Amino acid sequence: MTETIGIWIAAFLTLCMFSFLYKDNPFYKFAEHLFVGVSMGYYIPYTYYNAFIPYAYEPLFLKKEYILIIPFIIGFLYWFRFSSKYSWVSRYPIAFSMGMVGMGVPMNMHANVLVQMRTMMLPLNSINIILIFVGTISILLYFFFSKAHKGVYGKFTSIGVWFMMVGFGASFGYTVMARISLLIGRIQFLLGDWLGLIK
Amino acid sequence: MKRQIPLMIVLILGLLFVAHVFIPNKLSSDYLDWFMKWMKVIGPFAIVLGVFSLVYVHYNKIKRKAPTWGYSIVTLTALVVTTAVGFIWGIQEGTPYMWIFKNFNVPLGATMFSLLAFYIASAAYKAFRARSIEATVLLVAAIIVMLGRVSIGQAITHWIPDITEWILNVPNLAAKRGIALGVGLGMTATSLKIMLGIERSYLGGKD
Amino acid sequence: METVTDKEEIEEIENRIALYSDYIEDKPEIVKKANQLKSDKERMKLLYKTHCTNIRSFKYYIRKTDGQGHFIDTPIYTAPNGEQYIFPKQNWFNNDEIITLIAVLLFAALVYFMIQAARKGKRLYIRPIAGIQEIDNAIGRATEMGRPILFVPGLSGISDVATLAGLAILSKVAKKAAEYDTRILVPCRDFIVLPIAQEIVKEAHYEAGRPDTYDKNSVFFITQAQFAFVAGVNGIMIREKTATNFYMGMFWAESLLMTETGSATGAIQIAGTDAVNQLPFFITTCDYTLIGEELYAASAYLSKQPLILGTLKAQDYMKLLIVVTVVLGTILSTVHLTFFMNWFPAK
Repeated sequence: MTETIGIWIAAFLTLCMFSFLYKDNPFYKFAEHLFVGVSMGYYIPYTYYNAFIPYAYEPLFLKKEYILIIPFIIGFLYWFRFSSKYSWVSRYPIAFSMGMVGMGVPMNMHANVLVQMRTMMLPLNSINIILIFVGTISILLYFFFSKAHKGVYGKFTSIGVWFMMVGFGASFGYTVMARISLLIGRIQFLLGDWLGLIK
Repeated sequence: MKRQIPLMIVLILGLLFVAHVFIPNKLSSDYLDWFMKWMKVIGPFAIVLGVFSLVYVHYNKIKRKAPTWGYSIVTLTALVVTTAVGFIWGIQEGTPYMWIFKNFNVPLGATMFSLLAFYIASAAYKAFRARSIEATVLLVAAIIVMLGRVSIGQAITHWIPDITEWILNVPNLAAKRGIALGVGLGMTATSLKIMLGIERSYLGGKD
Repeated sequence: METVTDKEEIEEIENRIALYSDYIEDKPEIVKKANQLKSDKERMKLLYKTHCTNIRSFKYYIRKTDGQGHFIDTPIYTAPNGEQYIFPKQNWFNNDEIITLIAVLLFAALVYFMIQAARKGKRLYIRPIAGIQEIDNAIGRATEMGRPILFVPGLSGISDVATLAGLAILSKVAKKAAEYDTRILVPCRDFIVLPIAQEIVKEAHYEAGRPDTYDKNSVFFITQAQFAFVAGVNGIMIREKTATNFYMGMFWAESLLMTETGSATGAIQIAGTDAVNQLPFFITTCDYTLIGEELYAASAYLSKQPLILGTLKAQDYMKLLIVVTVVLGTILSTVHLTFFMNWFPAK
């Protein structure tokens, strides 16, 4: 019984969402507001049981790791946002969570710059490798901000634009089938699970 | 106190994290473990800010009888009911909480996601209508790759899968690599700016 | 504690005690040593430490094979002191990262010099970028139409640098909007991005000299769920009739859902992201798109502060250095000299 009710609700909500394709309407508005509510409602107990209890409550109160009182207090400082006079106190936990940006400096240099540089230094022994090489260099110069894109230099950076556009087209084309299969999934639910027209 | 100390916190923790990358010592991995452990304690407190903001916005709409205020009741009711159900009966498989997740969250999310099938077609049409050379190049590459990934492409001519492969492995690779290099530098610079306090807008005012 | 009265049971326990005593008698030194310690905690600590040392101690020998089943082994390595087990020692520096350290120091030095140059008033040229120049006009358009501006600072948290770049742009956009007295709406998906965005918009109003126009409700949280968030944002675009939409930061599959709706409502849209897979959708549906590094450069363009401009210049010089290095490395590897390439990390 609950399963049947569930399927009918799911089907109704699916149709409400699809109705947005026509235009904004009361059914979509209802589904949208409901979605925001249930999704957040889902997240609160989820965080409580899967984050607060195992990582904050249990270590402090059951395993008696009293040092964790400090992060407890830091976390609590977030709530000073509600005070207009002391809202600056909430900068402390924000600053604390920002600490990790330090890791980004060498990590990005390593993973996105140096590793990419190495992959570029291939022997130029085939037309494709030469094309990749020229493409990458021209894109890199496209992002050079100190020189206007004029003359021969401008022509060279426009090669970079072409490469990027073909690359973006590839991403675009690559995604289409994945999106269509999502739609097929929903139609299968409506026609199969709900109406039982297809098996 | 209001601004200097937070900046100092970011700088000190940041420098330690820079050191962490270069030092493979146990002390260094202990530092990361310590930070992560504390972050996991601090994190859940922030959720209250989000919930409060959401409730505040909708409560205000109802109070002011703003247009569409009735829907705000839907949001708040859904929020309260789902949360209450999760706390009363737990969140394991088979609870009412999971029933709501399965029959509300999943279909709503999946349908929203599947709308992309229509939107991607309309985006392609926009590229077609734009009539700029760049947009045309993008569209042609997209069509070739799209056809190359399904059996129709193979059926039309064997050239299509071959070209698809070439596009993915040559211009696409160059594009990804070139962009990644630029982005890598941009990320390094932004991280550095924040760590050193050059970029500090995230802390808000000077007061 | 229960008292055992059953004879058989008592006997069994005594046997067991005898067994363990024997075990301790002729078992390793470490067990005896641990037994002499007073507290359980200390005993566990000692045993655990020994365990850790033991599982990471190795003997080794070298086996050479021709790949066809023939092999030859060296004797097990023995240290001059006769010890065969070797135990790894912790390093204080990861030698694989030396090139990263050099690159970071070089970049930091470039940043320092360029900032100094900018402070001394040296004029630093940066070429115009259409998407960034249009930001002003787009805000002006919303003002003329008397409609609000929407700014989505991405869907990720602050661990994504793109979010931080997006927030830096928000501070400039919000300031302009405050100067023009135009409402700006900032929906957030991350709990920690929310207070940061609130601070930024509030400060922007103060900087613009319009603290009275700051509306607490303008920066708000929608929900954590990706598609519910998008549903909410789409609702805002349609019902608030936003004239200008900004999308700056990290986006995933949902990007197109927002930009298509925005384009259907006739809003001017400016996007910026480093998510390569989402860029094609931004490019086809938005009026202007900041691609990859342009997102990170935008705040420097908008702020024009010497400190931030200097960093951008340093980025540029670093890029030139990369081009030169890569060209050199490619030439060397083409003539089969791979030593240079091998200085760089493979992963």
